[in-house]
Amino acid sequence: MNWLTTVPLQAYLTLSAALFAIGLLGVLIRRNAIAVLLGIELMLNAANINFAAFWRYGATSSMEGQVFVVIVMTLAAAEAAVALAIILNVFRRFKTVNVDQINLMKG
Amino acid sequence: MPPGSEYFLIPGLPLLAFLLIAAFGLKPESERAAPAAIIPALCGSLWLSLRALSQVSATGPVEVAVPWLYVGAIQLDVGVLLDNLSALMLVVVSLVSLLVQIYSIGYMKGEIGYGRYFAYMSLFSGSMLGLVISDNIVQTYICWELVGICSYLLIGFWYRRPSAAAAAKKAFVVTRFGDLGFLSAVLLLSFFGLGIFGFTDLQHAAETGALSKGLITAVSLLLFCGAVGKSAQFPLHIWLPDAMEGPTPVSALIHAATMVAAGVYLVARTYFLFALAPAALLVVAIIGSLTLFLGATMGVAENDIKRVMAYSTISQLGYMMMALGVGGYTAGVFHLTTHAFFKALLFLTAGSVIHALRTNDMWKMGGLGKRMPITAVTCLVGALALAGIPVFSGFWSKDEILSAAWFSHLPGHQVFFALALMTVFLTAFYMFRLWFLTFTGEPRSDEAQHAHESPWVMAGPLVILAVLAAVAGGLKASVPGAGQGFGELVRFGEAHEAVSYLAMILSIGAALLGIALAWAAYRRNFVSPAAFNASFPQVYRLLKNAWYLNRAWELFATQVVIAGSALFAWFDRTIVNGMVDGVAWLCGAGSRQLRRLQTGQVQLYAFVIVLGIIAGLVAILGGAAHGVTFTAGGR
Amino acid sequence: MISALWHAFLAGTFWHPLSFVLLAAGVLGPALGVVFSRNIVRAALWLLPCLISVAGLFVLLGAEMLAGIQVLIYCGGIVVLILFGVMLTHGVGDPDIRVYNRQLWWGLLGVVVFAVVVSFALTAQLWPPLPGQLPPNVTGRLADALLGQYVLAFEVASVILLVAMVGALVIARGEPKE
Repeated sequence: MNWLTTVPLQAYLTLSAALFAIGLLGVLIRRNAIAVLLGIELMLNAANINFAAFWRYGATSSMEGQVFVVIVMTLAAAEAAVALAIILNVFRRFKTVNVDQINLMKG
Repeated sequence: MPPGSEYFLIPGLPLLAFLLIAAFGLKPESERAAPAAIIPALCGSLWLSLRALSQVSATGPVEVAVPWLYVGAIQLDVGVLLDNLSALMLVVVSLVSLLVQIYSIGYMKGEIGYGRYFAYMSLFSGSMLGLVISDNIVQTYICWELVGICSYLLIGFWYRRPSAAAAAKKAFVVTRFGDLGFLSAVLLLSFFGLGIFGFTDLQHAAETGALSKGLITAVSLLLFCGAVGKSAQFPLHIWLPDAMEGPTPVSALIHAATMVAAGVYLVARTYFLFALAPAALLVVAIIGSLTLFLGATMGVAENDIKRVMAYSTISQLGYMMMALGVGGYTAGVFHLTTHAFFKALLFLTAGSVIHALRTNDMWKMGGLGKRMPITAVTCLVGALALAGIPVFSGFWSKDEILSAAWFSHLPGHQVFFALALMTVFLTAFYMFRLWFLTFTGEPRSDEAQHAHESPWVMAGPLVILAVLAAVAGGLKASVPGAGQGFGELVRFGEAHEAVSYLAMILSIGAALLGIALAWAAYRRNFVSPAAFNASFPQVYRLLKNAWYLNRAWELFATQVVIAGSALFAWFDRTIVNGMVDGVAWLCGAGSRQLRRLQTGQVQLYAFVIVLGIIAGLVAILGGAAHGVTFTAGGR
Repeated sequence: MISALWHAFLAGTFWHPLSFVLLAAGVLGPALGVVFSRNIVRAALWLLPCLISVAGLFVLLGAEMLAGIQVLIYCGGIVVLILFGVMLTHGVGDPDIRVYNRQLWWGLLGVVVFAVVVSFALTAQLWPPLPGQLPPNVTGRLADALLGQYVLAFEVASVILLVAMVGALVIARGEPKE
């Protein structure tokens, strides 16, 4: 197909895979707990892009793709709130938000 | 119940007596009643054995088996096999056992452990009869071990005496060497011999070629190992002289007439295997002739009356083995029978003397002929039988052996004949040395001076056995109850009547020569034993120390066996323990490595999850490439 | 190549791919900024252009309602929330100021492999490459679906929001002071 006239589905899929990978990298690498949360947000967005792309390129007659995206965003909001509450609590208890210094479950 | 089942009682009655005595007869109050259990039991066994003999000699063998144990493909039975050989042996064993038990009532009177003695003797009688009557080799092995245990218990009857305890242990351990061979034979048969254990089935299998030649030879040799141990053949004879620590009736019954004969009986029972393995027969003949010669040489230098007879037993057992080896099946079994009678007799007379004098040392005896006439006369009868003087039973059986050796087809049979002939001389010599020293001349101690004859309960069996020892030669012509001569009754293959008159004359001559020398040396002192010992000190020392064979075995045990066991100990410590420790170490090392995953850090866990997802994706993609799909449910 | 571009320019059909490329750059660039920024505030702020570009992609895909929701909730709500969190957990003179943990290189390797495998998985299939026709009233149809067929999911999501709110309050409240 002609790249210059239309964008293929694989482009969106590759993009979302790359975004997901970057988010995953943030989760695995960063010491700051909030940075980990940022990585999670990136991963969620990658999934949303995926859903929306599949909706557009395949099943536009039914709205399931978009409904899924709405629900995911709602849950992402809820999860961000709870995660930040936990991070605040951890900060109070351990006086640090560095994830690798919180290893009480070691051994 | 199948016909012939009543013969299970032949070993059963004495075993029942054992149980009764063990349950009720061991307390001092009830001990004296112990003989009342065993004597009737043995009478019953004897009567049944006589009936069996007359039945099977007329109408053929009787075999009854009861299934007992099933282990995988192996089936073991408990059974009785009554043919001419076993029926005859049953009569001999039960008769001699009965007479010895009657004798024991008097001999063991007043001893501590009177009840225990009769309990062990009953167990022995039952086991020995069970061994003889057994119809399969596993049952024979079980009874074999049982009589071994009884021998141990009875040799060590006076267990508080250290020498007795040591002798009992020695007997058991030495015979164990032989028993290992017996067990190996049984194992070989169960693995390679089609799992056949019954004697008649084995004979059929062997003779129709179902078993390989190599297997038959190996099994024969291993069975003979067992016989070497039990029948005190060279080199496992060392336990028998020490076994004289036990009470004399024990020596008479177990170590003269019955248990030691079990080895000879085993070879005779499995002769169909030996007949097909000439190499094994040659080994039997060689060991037998070595034993008969060495045993006699060791007997001439002994001063303990029972030990002389022990060496004599070793020598006579050698005769029987050699006879079987050179092909004289009938001769060997005939000698077994006559030897049972006159050797038991000789031991019981020795017991009579020991009971009166409280000593075994012949040099403290002397002049007992006047004081203990019955003992002296019966002992003389036994001595004449042992020496092989005509008319007495020993002459007929020994002569058959010599003829068998003379006419044998075995290579080197002339050597066996020569050894046997020389030993006739030695046998007569040491036996009459014993008789002259004990019963003639002047008493050499106070006890000998004041000795008196034994009570009738002891003298009675002596007389009966003396009669048997004298006339048992007549069995050759006709066995009472069987209506046939011994040669017809007990044979392997066709009966043959080859008699060498030359051998007969030579043996009579050798025996007379031996008696004459003994008379000259110990009755009239024409020849001085002391001078002989002084001029040939090495010979004297060699014989006195029994060819230093005990020392040789001692060296073997300490140097070879213990050195060998050090190797096994190393193996066990290092390799076996190492393997077990290694497994434990492996677990520890493995878990130490796995522990490194448990860091408590969430990001590591997330990373591992990512790895898992990658692996899962690769699996699905790889599967899809090869047409493998992972669908939940559906097809 | 140049002539093809020129033709596409004249035909007006290259705007679509151009927009996609620009928006993709707007997504991935800032995403890298989020992950590799040393300063946590800067990292949170890099999230903003990333999320707005995602909203742009939604518009490109014909889901305007989603773009609106994206801007409202993500950019307006979640990023602000995260900035609040950053302020409240500001570390005081932490001597150890490493940005990355010990998994830096292994994580990088693992993520690269992951990305390769996933994109291979996604692109190995034969998807319909061309978009079909958009139905007329997309937003209306979305509303119908949310309040019609998927009303249960909608209501459950709102309950979850309520529960999360209460839960976050409880967790963040900490120990009651005497």
